[in-house]
Amino acid sequence: MRLLLIEDEVPLADQISSSLRESGFAVDIANTGEDGLYLGKEYPIDVAVVDIGLPDISGIEVIKKWREEECGFPVLILTARGRWEEKVEGLESGADDYLVKPFHMEELIARLRTLIRRSAGFSDSKIPMGRFSLDTAAQKMLFDDEEIDVTAFEYKVLEYLILHADKVVSKSELSEHLYEDDFDRDSNVLEVIIGRLRKKLDPDKSLNPIETLRGRGYRFRSVE
Amino acid sequence: MMSINARLLLSASLVLVAFLSFTGYALDRAFTDSGIVAIKERLQTEIFSLLAAADSDDIHTLTMPGTLPDLRLSTPASGLYAEIISDQGKVIWRSGSMLGIKIPFSPIDVKGEPRFTEVVADNGTQLYTLGLSVVWEVAPFIVRGYTFYVAETKEHFENQRKRFRKSLAMWLGAAVIALLMVQAIILRWGLTPLRKVASEVADIEAGRKTELSANYPQEIELLATNLNVLIRSSNSHLKRYRNALGDLAHSLKTPLAVLRNLVNSDGLPEGTKKTVYDQIKRLDKTVEYQLQKAVASGRKALAAPISIEKVAQKLLNTFRKVYVDKQIDFKLNIDPDIKFIGDEGDLMELLGNLMDNACKWCRNKVKVSVFATDGMLTILVEDDGPGIAQEEQEAILKRGVRGDSQVEGHGIGMAVVRNLVEEVYKGKLTIEKSVLGGAEIAVILAW
Repeated sequence: MRLLLIEDEVPLADQISSSLRESGFAVDIANTGEDGLYLGKEYPIDVAVVDIGLPDISGIEVIKKWREEECGFPVLILTARGRWEEKVEGLESGADDYLVKPFHMEELIARLRTLIRRSAGFSDSKIPMGRFSLDTAAQKMLFDDEEIDVTAFEYKVLEYLILHADKVVSKSELSEHLYEDDFDRDSNVLEVIIGRLRKKLDPDKSLNPIETLRGRGYRFRSVE
Repeated sequence: MMSINARLLLSASLVLVAFLSFTGYALDRAFTDSGIVAIKERLQTEIFSLLAAADSDDIHTLTMPGTLPDLRLSTPASGLYAEIISDQGKVIWRSGSMLGIKIPFSPIDVKGEPRFTEVVADNGTQLYTLGLSVVWEVAPFIVRGYTFYVAETKEHFENQRKRFRKSLAMWLGAAVIALLMVQAIILRWGLTPLRKVASEVADIEAGRKTELSANYPQEIELLATNLNVLIRSSNSHLKRYRNALGDLAHSLKTPLAVLRNLVNSDGLPEGTKKTVYDQIKRLDKTVEYQLQKAVASGRKALAAPISIEKVAQKLLNTFRKVYVDKQIDFKLNIDPDIKFIGDEGDLMELLGNLMDNACKWCRNKVKVSVFATDGMLTILVEDDGPGIAQEEQEAILKRGVRGDSQVEGHGIGMAVVRNLVEEVYKGKLTIEKSVLGGAEIAVILAW
């Protein structure tokens, strides 16, 4: 999942981004409101973390502008003041959740995962896909409630496909959302990973959960 | 207290009525006095004409001719009467008009000086009389004394006076009404600026205006200007103060966040890690609580009353978003007419913390009710969660316990609420068991 972090305090931004990367997010960092606003509008962002107290334009303004331009990705705001006025203002401007500084990194990550899942339209942390299911809280893939052993990167691919189930996801879309901008993308890597996932999910090739649509991309089917 | 308008109207009306009554009285007196002078003169003329008509006969007795110049003297009950009495007390002559009436003329001792009196005749008629005692030389060296009396009924004069009084009362009455009306108009016009100040202050309090308009007469211009300065400075002061505290919070909490993350990742010994972590936590709580406390403003002069329902609705929208997975069944039972007199930020802090705790602890029901009864505003926040244990209730409500050292669980929110309710708004905070099954927190404020 591609995440945009707008935080002017560089040490904190570094800490947050490294923790998020460890947890499988592709993180873009902006240190000013203007940069963040631009990145949010131009990049394929899945979720954003916005500090309200920015030196140039406030986080609330940034969110308002995104929403005006119909950027619909979920936003979590970070506030230093625990005042409800600020939290309410933030959520009214279009944010979806808040955290008051200082916060536990685990809390931030859990909230972000919930936001991503909710924005994809799933209210429960366990997403059923026929006999398969994705446990977003435990970060596990299950088949008939038995865990399927997948690597962290394979999980990221699966998560993206399942959150966009029944929709065609092109290879470039997949790589845009899984890799950071400066990453050297190689579409063959994705092909290899999809092949490995097919073997792991469907060893006897009877269910075919991940379809390939030639020239268009992949599609995870919600029912078989 | 009596209004300025009523005071001015009452005092001016009293002065007006007193002045006009005095005028009426003086005019009446002047009319009466001049009327009596005129009667005196007329009666004197009658006496002189009688004197002129009198003659004497062979035996030196005074005689009067059969016909007299004033016909009224010959006509019975005409209202004008005359009598001549000799010094011996003998009636020499009576006018024809005196037929059937007896007038008690009083005797006069001094010769040549007319005397004016008021008498009542035997039939009850009220009269003005004038008597003149004269010495008559009927023949050389023969002198006789006579007294001439004339009398006129008061009736004629009284009628005149009645008519005069009637028209006087009418004109003065009309003048009173006209003057009162003019006075009311003048008062209205004169007091317009004051009324304007009052209505503008009401507008400011209702939030329709932010300050008083500029054009006022010089007497109250200074007041209006000062009021504007006061409003502006209190607003901007609060704003600056809150911004400064916000910046302070930001610049304190961001490094705290960095430190806290560092502790978790660094290779510090376990014991040190815990100490550093605890200290950071303490710092954070102190900063949070003290800033929250400092930012509370309390009741401000000239602040618009806040709709509690609107604030609760805003918060509810926030909580719907944040606690979307919990599917909370919210109930707001708030009369939209009930207003909070104080700062909107404070109210949001109060309700926000109470509702957040309720959302955190509830199973799926949260209820907020607000009602006002005889000067008391009660805010109830209930949930269907496990409720608050007795010892925890005591810890939350105990006076003198510093908020940042309060128990975990209901956290800093309850400390902020307690500070707002008890210290800033001088109200009461109670914790009960709700009929929903969980906690029921009641905030009681003077309304």
